[in-house]
Amino acid sequence: MRILIATNMAPFVWGGAEELAVNLQRHLVDAGHDSEVLRIPYQWEPATGIPSQMYLARVLACENADRVVALKFPAYMVQHPHKTLWLLHQYRQAYDLFDAGLSNLPSGEAGQRIRGAVIRADAIAFSELDSIYVNSEVTQRRLLQYNGIESTILLPPVNDPELFVGGRSEGYVFAGGRINGMKRQRLLVQAAARVPSCRLVVAGPADSPEDARELVECVDDLGLRDRVTVDIRFLSRSEYAAYLNDAAAVAYLPLDEDSLGYVAMEAATARKPIIATSDSGGVLGLVEDGVTGWVADPTIESLADALASAVSGPGVCESLGVGAHDKLAALSTSWEEILERLLG
Amino acid sequence: MRIALFSSYVPFVRGGDRQIVDWLATMLERRGHDVERIYLPSLPWENRVLQEMAAFRCVDLSAADRVICFRPPAHVIDHPVKVLWFIHHVREFYDLWGTEFSVFPDDAAHRGLRDRIRAIDTSAMREAHAVFTNSETVTNRLLEFNAMKSEVLYPPLLDPERFRCDGFNDEILCVGRVEPAKRQHLLVEALGHTTSQVRLRLSGVSESPDYADHIRRLISSQGLDDRVHFDNRWIDDEEKVDQMAACLASAYVGYNEDSYGYSPLEASHASKAILTTTDSGGVTELVIDGYNGFVVEPDPGMLAERMDQLFVDTDRTRQMGRAARRRVVDELCIDWDHVIERLLS
Repeated sequence: MRILIATNMAPFVWGGAEELAVNLQRHLVDAGHDSEVLRIPYQWEPATGIPSQMYLARVLACENADRVVALKFPAYMVQHPHKTLWLLHQYRQAYDLFDAGLSNLPSGEAGQRIRGAVIRADAIAFSELDSIYVNSEVTQRRLLQYNGIESTILLPPVNDPELFVGGRSEGYVFAGGRINGMKRQRLLVQAAARVPSCRLVVAGPADSPEDARELVECVDDLGLRDRVTVDIRFLSRSEYAAYLNDAAAVAYLPLDEDSLGYVAMEAATARKPIIATSDSGGVLGLVEDGVTGWVADPTIESLADALASAVSGPGVCESLGVGAHDKLAALSTSWEEILERLLG
Repeated sequence: MRIALFSSYVPFVRGGDRQIVDWLATMLERRGHDVERIYLPSLPWENRVLQEMAAFRCVDLSAADRVICFRPPAHVIDHPVKVLWFIHHVREFYDLWGTEFSVFPDDAAHRGLRDRIRAIDTSAMREAHAVFTNSETVTNRLLEFNAMKSEVLYPPLLDPERFRCDGFNDEILCVGRVEPAKRQHLLVEALGHTTSQVRLRLSGVSESPDYADHIRRLISSQGLDDRVHFDNRWIDDEEKVDQMAACLASAYVGYNEDSYGYSPLEASHASKAILTTTDSGGVTELVIDGYNGFVVEPDPGMLAERMDQLFVDTDRTRQMGRAARRRVVDELCIDWDHVIERLLS
């Protein structure tokens, strides 16, 4: 069968969603199908360009495919008689972020018009689908609340589990992934300042030069250079895995993330416990205080307590790490079953 | 530099028009540039060709410092530094209009559509920072139909040094998609007229099962089953290199092609003479009759004569093979340094 995977791309940016699309393609090909990934350029700024980008996705010629599996807004607007949605992202700015006053949509009537167009187009796209899957409870709830659509969770295993073998702890806490305000690496550094025995490694690409500068300045201002390592760059997967495999625990504090988060899932795969915060959203589906890691309040004091516990010795980390591994295994779906569901 | 390579494609159909993009991406990356490839599907059917152009106009690649556009309608994108490496028009509305290959009736509605498309193409070209093509053929069409001047940049192969010559067997090799416009049937008909024991090998996939069946019937009806090897499947690169290395000569007889096609270029790097026809388009820019191959009328009898000659006069066939390599390497200088210098100027 010819299966087209339709997703969006931000030009020159490559992340977990891109890896997932490629991974899905690989598993489809291994199962004997012909599969291609269609990556439709999408920029959500300026918001006034959103309707024309929905139009773009709607017009693209996909009839050569027997099936379409769509992953993101607005790629799922492509027209095809056999379209399955495995939703990673809808346009939250028109839904929950709009209600929370965090939308990039212009205020007043102009914003309302764009929002209305997104909601109407979503309703049409969702009505055309063979079936609807999501990759997290948060997305599932949001889809039900805002679009009245029931969906089933299909959580894929991490993209490259063979890299995350775990191993002996070198005793530091690792914070990997993209560096930006939403991921709150600075809060973590401030907490580490309160725990003299805590060594911390923050490594990953910064979203902007300001994000990078602010983090480095924070470490310098607190005089933490001797025990906080900051490695700001795009790491290869093996470099990233090496940092993770040697860590005692992983800290991941996104603000209200949709899904479990690749960083947390990779930590669990490597049997490392995870520090998250009570406002980390979907990540809390995996991080359970005292079972798979620590759920701190998003405050310096509370995070400092979690860090102190994580570096207090290998015993607690090892048992929480096994807990994280087992919980992830229970939550995730095998690729075999994912393909069966998506093509069913 | 952040460079976006933007082209259209037909999902699940693999052909030469993706290689020019993929190979340029590789070569730019080797030179340290940050490259993003964007392929969007296009099947320019009449009821949505204008919609598709409008959609491609909406593509936002402002994150790139420069956009290089290939297959239409990628060239309609709005970007301050847009460079076209134009590989063909939607030919149904251009040179194929009114020919036997035309798919549209010559009525007022279709003429209106044709003129609209040509007008949009022309204004999209005028916005460009620079306009290049892949052949004299396309450059001439741009001048004729869009009054647009352009510079020819012949697309090189990726790592052409892979192609080698191991010797000369008794097969004339035709590699490429098996399609009516590629006219493999001409070669089979020609073989029926040959007087020597020259053989033919057709290697490639087919999107038109009817045409592949037609070729099979043609082979059988002329009693050529022993002398034609019809390899109707996807030939991977390694296998192609081996087939090129072993063959007697290569053949490429498509109808009015936009460019020389990769197969004749590969044959040239493998030091093999090229048999083609006067109406084959771009490939006739590469092949000089009697020097690095033969260019004959698209007639089975004439082709048969040259096939026999290639088989019988092997000294000359080898000599033309050596000239074929000289032609692309020394005379036309088909290489990436030149291409990239021009595209980034």
